[in-house]
Amino acid sequence: MSSFTKSAQQWATFARSWFLIDARMQPPGKIATMCSVRLQGKHKPIYHALSDCGDHVVVMNTRHIAFSGNKWEQKVYSSHTGYPGGFKQVTAAQLHHKDPKAIIKLAVYGMLPRNLHRRTMMQRLHLFPDDVLPDDILENLTEELPQPRVIPRKLSEYTQEERDAFPMLWTPPEDYRMK
Amino acid sequence: MVFLTLSCWIRSRGPDRYWRVQEVLKNARHFRGRKNRCFSLAVKAVRRAFVYATKARKAKRHYMRQLWISRIAAASREHGMKYPALIHNLVKTNVQVNRRILSDLAITEPRSFLSLAALAKARREEGFRAALGDGKEPAGVFSRIVQSH
Repeated sequence: MSSFTKSAQQWATFARSWFLIDARMQPPGKIATMCSVRLQGKHKPIYHALSDCGDHVVVMNTRHIAFSGNKWEQKVYSSHTGYPGGFKQVTAAQLHHKDPKAIIKLAVYGMLPRNLHRRTMMQRLHLFPDDVLPDDILENLTEELPQPRVIPRKLSEYTQEERDAFPMLWTPPEDYRMK
Repeated sequence: MVFLTLSCWIRSRGPDRYWRVQEVLKNARHFRGRKNRCFSLAVKAVRRAFVYATKARKAKRHYMRQLWISRIAAASREHGMKYPALIHNLVKTNVQVNRRILSDLAITEPRSFLSLAALAKARREEGFRAALGDGKEPAGVFSRIVQSH
């Protein structure tokens, strides 16, 4: 059984790392769960809610996130200005057009614990709509995280040999008219 | 007149009221406001504090286990396994290490935790092979351990 005096002192245990996530063609919810886990520090075995062990997370290409299904038209973000008649409802597509960072920001905000640390953790989240990052953030980055979703290839990205080698279920007759 | 001298007129109700009051106030010294100075406010606050402390002794065990579980989950995800898979496979290999020691190992003895995670991963692969294979492969090494209960 190790004792505190005999185990080696690891100096960088409580250091704050900077993670980079590329959100191109990724679902924003999965990006947001990865962000919230690292902002709270729950990926570390030394986690404690009071010990301020969260890391910084930089998300780039937030303009190119990909909702699945019809969520661009059906998902509604509601807010109220506080004045009468000020209930506003915006679809995800409209909100994304107005502010490309808002969808991921709101998703991460909702996934963090509802306490006073939430605002501090949101300040450690850095969102960029494109892959242009400022120099001071580029210098701080320590690790890039793998993307949660495997991006499927488009038909135009397959070579002619691969297309020919793909098995066909049936061969159409000569006079078959394809639309 | 019964009380003829001054010393008999003084109604002293006992010398130890000060000590009885201080016994309560010493538990209230770190409170905020007048409840750390004034006895009648302090008595109510101290009673409530003691009730909270009694209830918290049970909640502490709850909370500590939750903390150990989240630490073990974080450490096992670093090694490519999830917490339920790790615990289930450690149970199947009859490794009766409790969550408190597992979380301490994850923090101070990372190599021991890595070896436990590797053991659980191997047992998991054997379980998959036994379930999905057609029985022609020999049973694995780690699943030969017989459970004690």
